[in-house]
Order: sequence, then C-alpha cells, then structure tokens
Amino acid sequence: MKIHVNDVPLDVAPGTSVIDAVFAAGYDVPYFCSQEYMSPIGACRMCLARVGAPRKDRATGEWILDEATGDAKIFWFPNPMATCTTQVMEGMVVDTLSKEVKRAQNGMVEFTLVNHPLDCPTCDKGGACELQDRAYEYGTGESRFVFDKRHQEKHHALSEAITLDRERCIHCKRCVRYFEEVPGDEVLDFIERGGHTYIGTLEDGLPSPFSGNITDICPVGALLDSTSRFRGRNWEYHHTDTTSLDDPSGAALRIDARTGRIERIKAGLNDEVNKTWIDDGTRFGHEYADHADRITLPMVRKDGRLEPVAWSEAMRVVRDKLGGVDGTKVGVAIRADATLEEGVAAQALAAHLGTGRLDHAPRPAASVLPGGAPATLRDVATSDGLLVLGDPTHEAAIVDLRIKDALKGVPPADLLPHGVPIADLRLTERMPRKTEILTVVAPYRTDLMKHAGRTVTPPAGGEGALLRALLALAHARTEAQGASDPGKAADAALAGWDDAVGMSAADAAALLDALAAAEAPVLIWGGFVSADPDADAAARALATAVGAKTLILGPMANAAGLERIGVLPSHERYAYDPASSEVRAWILGDLDPAQDPTVAKRFADLDALIVHAAFENATTALADVVLPAVTGYEKEGSTLNAEGRLLPVRAAPVEAGAATDFTGVVKAYGEAAGERLEGRSVRSARRVLKKRLDVDLAELPDDGRLLPPAPAAARGARALPARRAATGSALVVPSLVRIEHLDRNPTLLREHGGPTLRMHPSDAHAHGLTRGEVVTVPVGGIPRRLVVAPDDGVPEGTWLVPTLPDQPVGLHPLDLDALRRERGETAEVA
Amino acid sequence: MIELQTARPFFEDKPELLQEILGRYPDYGRRSALMPLLWEVQRAERYVSEARIAEIADILDLTATEVRGVMSFYSTYHGEPVGRYHLQVCATLSCKLAGADQLTDYLEDTLGLVPGETDAEGRFSLQKVECLGSCTTAPVLQVNDTYYERVGRADVDALLAAMKEDVLPEPARVRAGDNERYGPAAPAGEEDA
Repeated sequence: MKIHVNDVPLDVAPGTSVIDAVFAAGYDVPYFCSQEYMSPIGACRMCLARVGAPRKDRATGEWILDEATGDAKIFWFPNPMATCTTQVMEGMVVDTLSKEVKRAQNGMVEFTLVNHPLDCPTCDKGGACELQDRAYEYGTGESRFVFDKRHQEKHHALSEAITLDRERCIHCKRCVRYFEEVPGDEVLDFIERGGHTYIGTLEDGLPSPFSGNITDICPVGALLDSTSRFRGRNWEYHHTDTTSLDDPSGAALRIDARTGRIERIKAGLNDEVNKTWIDDGTRFGHEYADHADRITLPMVRKDGRLEPVAWSEAMRVVRDKLGGVDGTKVGVAIRADATLEEGVAAQALAAHLGTGRLDHAPRPAASVLPGGAPATLRDVATSDGLLVLGDPTHEAAIVDLRIKDALKGVPPADLLPHGVPIADLRLTERMPRKTEILTVVAPYRTDLMKHAGRTVTPPAGGEGALLRALLALAHARTEAQGASDPGKAADAALAGWDDAVGMSAADAAALLDALAAAEAPVLIWGGFVSADPDADAAARALATAVGAKTLILGPMANAAGLERIGVLPSHERYAYDPASSEVRAWILGDLDPAQDPTVAKRFADLDALIVHAAFENATTALADVVLPAVTGYEKEGSTLNAEGRLLPVRAAPVEAGAATDFTGVVKAYGEAAGERLEGRSVRSARRVLKKRLDVDLAELPDDGRLLPPAPAAARGARALPARRAATGSALVVPSLVRIEHLDRNPTLLREHGGPTLRMHPSDAHAHGLTRGEVVTVPVGGIPRRLVVAPDDGVPEGTWLVPTLPDQPVGLHPLDLDALRRERGETAEVA
Repeated sequence: MIELQTARPFFEDKPELLQEILGRYPDYGRRSALMPLLWEVQRAERYVSEARIAEIADILDLTATEVRGVMSFYSTYHGEPVGRYHLQVCATLSCKLAGADQLTDYLEDTLGLVPGETDAEGRFSLQKVECLGSCTTAPVLQVNDTYYERVGRADVDALLAAMKEDVLPEPARVRAGDNERYGPAAPAGEEDA
C-alpha cells in the first residue's frame, strides 16, 4: 500500500498500523501503551497524528480529485488519530510534524503528568524512563495544573519481588494486558475507576512464573524489580547482553552490573527465541552470584584443611596428584550448563590424561538431540497440533510462552525497518485461544494444563507405555486404511487399547486425528521421556509416524550442545557415576555428588578429588584441591539451546577474585604440565569448534544462529547405548527456580518459598504431614530438606521433589521411613 | 483432625438460578455472567465478600482479581457490608445547586456518620454518589433502590423516623415543572391559583 508519512513516500503491507508506518519512514512518534508483542489498544492517546486519506466517489467509484492539483484529494480525519490503532489505507497521508500535532502531543504530555509525582531524582527509572524521555521531547515543560496531585500508595509490594508505586502509574495498561495476553495468568487488574484507578491483585503475590516481565515493560517507574530497587542509577550500570544459562530455552538477557555486582537482570530481545520475556527464576535468581561466600581463590588441602594458594601452586598439586594415578582411572565431568568452549576444554583435558571417562551431568538416559526434523521455537509458535510430554514451564520456560503463542493462532510478525512492529493489529485483548490444538501429558497437574484442550495423566514413569500404545495405534490405523473394511479395521485397532496408560481409546484416537489433521504438528518432550530410553524411542517413532517435528528439552542450558560436540564417555560403561569404585581420581566442574552420603564415603578414599566450584559444598569439603569457578553470568562462550540455536554467552563484570571458567582450569593445568592444550582459552576452543561445527563462534550475532542438525553418520558414531529407566516413588520434577542456588537468593526464596515436597493430600494425611512443615527425607540417597505442600494435582502414591543438578528428573527411590521433621520449623508455601 | 467450619458457597443451594444466569450467555461468553452473579450475591447479602468473589471467580473460571476489577468499576457493588438503609445523596451539579451539600451535612449531623460509614447497628449507611439522573427533582436522596425527590429537612426527619421503625415510606412523587421546592405536590388544579 502506498502511503505518505510527512514527506516520505512509503510502500507498506496492508494491515500495518500507522504508528509502524511512521517509524518505518524514519520519523518518531511518542507512545506509552503499545508494546511490541501485545495488542495495541490506544489507551494512552500519546501517539496522536493528523491522518488523511483520499476518498472515492460513491457514484462513479473514481477517486475524488483536488481541482487545483488534479491529484486525489486528501480528506483529513476530523480529529488527531491514535496511530497505534489506525490501519494504513491506500493513499493515506500521515502528518506528525505540524503545529496541530505538536499541540496535541503537548496536551497529552501535560495531561499524563497531571497526577504523576515527577519524583524522577529519587526514582529508579530516572534516566531510562519512557515518560521522562517523552516529556522532554514532546512536552512544553510547563503545567497548568495547580491543584493537589492524587496521592496513593508509594511502596506497595505487589509480590516479594515486585514493588509498585501507585502514584507513578500512568494507567497505560501494559502490565494488566501482559498477564492476560502473554502467560495467560490474569492476576493483575485495574481496580476502581476514573481518577481513582490503580492496579492491584487479590491473588497472593502474583502467582505467575512470568510476573517479572511487567517491570521491563512498565514505561514509568511504577513497577520495579525489588532486587535492584534503590541500588543504582541507570547510567551507572554496565549492560551485558548475553544468553541465559538457566534453562535450555536460550533466552536473551541484559545483565546490569555495577561495582562488580549484578544488580538486576532484564529480558533481552530475541524475536526468534524469547521475544522480550523471561521467567522469574531467571530474572530474580541472580543474587547468589554476589553472595559473600563465593570461592575466590584456589585452595589446597594441607593438614586436613583447605588453604588458599595461587593458581600455579594449586595446579602443581593437581599435576602431582594426577601423576600418581593411572590415566584411565581419572574421571572428568562438567555440569550440563557449561559452555561449548568449556566442553572443548574438558575434552582436551580428558584426552591429555588418556581417559575415556568424560561426561557432562545431568545427562538423561536418552539423547536430547532431535532426530530428523527438529522443531524451532518459531515452529512451535506457528504449530496447529502440539503434543507436549512433560512440564515445559519448568523445563524451558520460554517454550511455555511460545506454545501459548501458537494458541493465539497469530504467526510471528515480519520485521520492519525499525524491528518488531510496535503495534501488531492482528493481536487483540482477550483473543480466543485455540486450546484444542494443545495436548499436555504429564504424571501430575502442570501449569500448562490450564491452557490445554486435552490433558493426559499417565502414571509416573508411564510415558513409555503410553507412547508405545499411541505408536501401535497409529500404525494399526495406517494399516486399517489399506484394509478392505477400513472402519472395522480401525475399530479393531482400538479394541486392544488399555486405559491404564492414562487415556481412553477414544481420546487416543482423537489425539492422533488431531495430529494427523494438523499441517505443522510438533512433538515436545522433556526429562520424563528422556529418562526412559524406551519412551524416547517410542516418542521419536511417533513423531515420524504422524509427521511431526520434534523439540526436546534437555535437563540444563547446554545439554544439547555438550552432547552435540561429544562431551561424552568413550563407552557408556564409563558414563558419569560418582559412586563407581573403578575411578581413582575425579575432576568435577560445578557438581556436588557428595551430597549423597554413599558417594561421600567413596570419595574419602580417592587418590585425588579436584573440584571446580563457585561455592563450598559437600564435595569441596572432601576435595584435595578446590578451584574457584565463575557463575553462568561471568562466562564468555557459546551455548546451544533446545531448538539447536547457537547463542553467545558474554561475561558481566562481576567481582569474583581469581575465579575462571573450565577453560581457565585447563589453561592452568596445561601450564603446570608444560603442555599447550586445546581449549586452554575461549579463543583456542573456538578454533576447534570452528573446524567441527563450521561456525565462527566469535562472530555469532546477538540473536544466534541455527546449527543444522548433525549428519546421521556423525550421530551414529556417538550413539548412546540405552541405560535402564529408574524406578521409585519419588518423582524428581523440573524446577523453574534453580533449587541449588535458592538459599543464596533471598528475594527469590521469599517469592517462591522453599523447595517443596508435593504429594496428594491423602498421602500427607496418612503420614501425618501438615502444609508448611519442613522435613528432611532421603531421595535417591541425597537427604533433601523440603517444605511439605499437599497438592490434589499430584496422584496418590507419588511424591514430587524438585530437581538438583546432581539429582536429575525422573523416578528415584524415596525413603519415607527416614523422613525427619525439623522441629518447630515451618515455611510459607506458595 | 479438626474440621474447620467454612462458609457455605452462596450458589450451592441455588443450582437452578445459577444455570438460568449462565444460560443467558453463550459458552465463549461465560464471563459475561459476572455482573448478574455479583448482583445476586449483593441483593441477598448487601455486599460481596472476598469469599463470594472467590466463589464467583471459580464458577466463571476467572481469577479473583478480575472479579474485583469489574466489581470495583461499578459503585453499585459494595465490598463492605452496608446498612439496611443505604442513603445515597446525589452530589452532582443540579442537586448541589438545590442544596445537596446542606442535605448531606444535615444527615451527617443527625446520624453521626460521615459519607462512606455505616452505623454500629447496621441500620444506616451514608454515601455521596454521582448523578442519579433526576435533576428536575433535585435534590435527590436514594434509599436502597427508591428515589426521594426534592427532599428538605422535614422530609428527611420524617424519613429517618419511619426507617427507625423499619418502615420505608412510599416516596411522594413531584410533578416536573413544579417550582415549589419542598413539601408534597400541590393538589391538581391549584397550581394556577
């Protein structure tokens, strides 16, 4: 459509909003209520412009011409228009520069500021405030309002992590719309009316795992992240644009640090991945990085005590210790959120030592790399048939939001010259959601089930049986189509169905019909399926049978990447097993297996235990050498997210003494051993990766790059022999909040509550457990301190425990006889 | 185990009423039943408590926040109990000019309440409200759902006395155009005299 913005002729797609046309033409227009990924509503009236269009003569159908010029005559709309809710028309003319528009803008700024306290000097948003900027750019600097301003609550704790200043609020409705439109948890609303309106909630503490995003989109200083409130001015922060290593979704982050501390984390923009949203675990879970008890120096055990030493001395001790051990009996394991560069370093170290006992942990029994047709997050967001096995909200939170995008049925908008459209007119408030396209399968009631048209609750560990039954049914139905009497054969296929797998035959048939009818079906699964190689095989076969793309959510941020580059044992016999008696020395990166007393006992008679860790824990307590590690916020490197996108990880300036990532460990070791090992630095590791992946990781753009799936041959060479699925009555479930850091994340701990032991209320009753009680119970050998939280969404006989890096998702034995109550201790349960 | 006494859900024993109200709207517009449900509760209990808000939210598959948002938009819904006689004085321009402020002052003095309050007995609540749409008969005092028009001091005294006996008197209707400010309408035929 041809239009004119001021003096710029422009050709834009039909359906574009006028505000986007203005920005596309390179002009500016102020706005507060519009937000890239939410519906335009024209609430703030700030984006006013003069708009006109030619008109056709009703009788002749010809354009009405201007007699003076002979061109189509422009009929101006009688009033200035809110450009965010106005669609472009053929021949439209937009004026954003005239006196009349200036006057309208001046008036709106003055009106918006009538009740705004103008406390910018003490406001955290000062210097990065949309209202402040717009008031300077488009206001007159004067107000005729001489009366008392409205007074409302200034420090209202909307939740433990979000503070609301009701006087600063300009009622743009971004936050209210956000909760309905993006996560679908309507926990915030306008209360009262007119000049008395304020935002508020009756829900206790904004119960949504994505609540923190409202602090990013608030155009004023009304909604603030409590972790950073009053901690710094915007111009003092050092901004680091990086990728979250919190979960395998690979969300873009902006870390704001000041004087060596992380003050806050905001969402970054990656249109292909997280758009502008991140989950609360990622946003508020950074305080641990600045905790006072970080390990900042290498330590060596002398006379039974760990003494701080220099890196060179620590590494001499490591070299001497390892020198006395048969190389094949050394184990090297790094945590599955290590960067690819750290993975290369670990490989180089293992190769140097001559050991095949290299691994990353947690690593599920089955591969987390999708086979033939991997689904990207865009595929998820545009799918019309989704089968989800697991709990994506907690496994890879962004996937949860992209699934909710698919329910709206609006594909991602094309980028304009200025980026993501500011006002996408296809989005509206309270859009009908196509819940019927979503099926969620999980052994307990998950958050995503509220949004699903079909939910299936198999017994814990029963995903394999369910998937095999579905696969058999899919095959039988395909065969039935070729039979002489297809209807009868299809019925026969259903006859053998066993409802014990968690769903009825009719539901199963309806699910397969829905997947078959879908044009772009996607199968998503997480830890529960990957924990069982048979379930994984059935899931892959089912995806092939119904022609679905697959997305696999690994246990930690870079599980897919480390598997892809082969940070794996040379034989499955050598898989990471800290309780193994064959290993004489361990080099562990960020792992704490000694939480399990059996492992701790084993570790006591190792020849060498070298631990790279950021905090002291049960394993460092036994270590011969402890090396200071950086957290995921301080790493330089790259990661591969669940969809197979390589993303850059950049280091925020955090004061962490002599701490390094694993490449630093390998560098120091190489220096002590007189060897130049590959992966001795990020740069050296990238040279190796460039050869292997054919990608220069130093050149990765901010929004990353999709890595083509590994060729089948390469995968075959590293095929993982099946490991057995575990059993037990404790189901270790994914957790959006990193439990291992929770004690050092005070804000998040208050917001989220302690780690919970969830069970059916009748099980709680049978064991005399009451809500909020703190207990310690051995789960798979590791004593876990948990808060009792009865929940009728948990099936009877199953006890849910949140995962730790050293306790992967899946079934584990639970020793309820050894359950110990912490006398008098109780905790809030969300 | 100790069984705690919980309030009975309001609609528990009124399934027909609930079905009737929900039946007025198509399935996708189920949330539209919010206003009539709030109204049923308020008519019976004279206010909508947080427990009832939660119950309605549950029926309509909304959050309590949304119910509260809608409820607070309309001043007819009360979040706090109001007295049996809810005195609402119109405080918009026409009534103000006709003496609504003096009327409010008089009610405040007589009842010992300020607008927004309810007496200890739970008999009277006093509230200033916006335009009641009856400017021709200003000032207007609305008691529950009944309008008392052109009320003067004597009318208020009589009204309060009656309500103390738990009688809500019939309002005296005043014809439009009658400029006699207070007192009952003039008998027919006398106005031209």
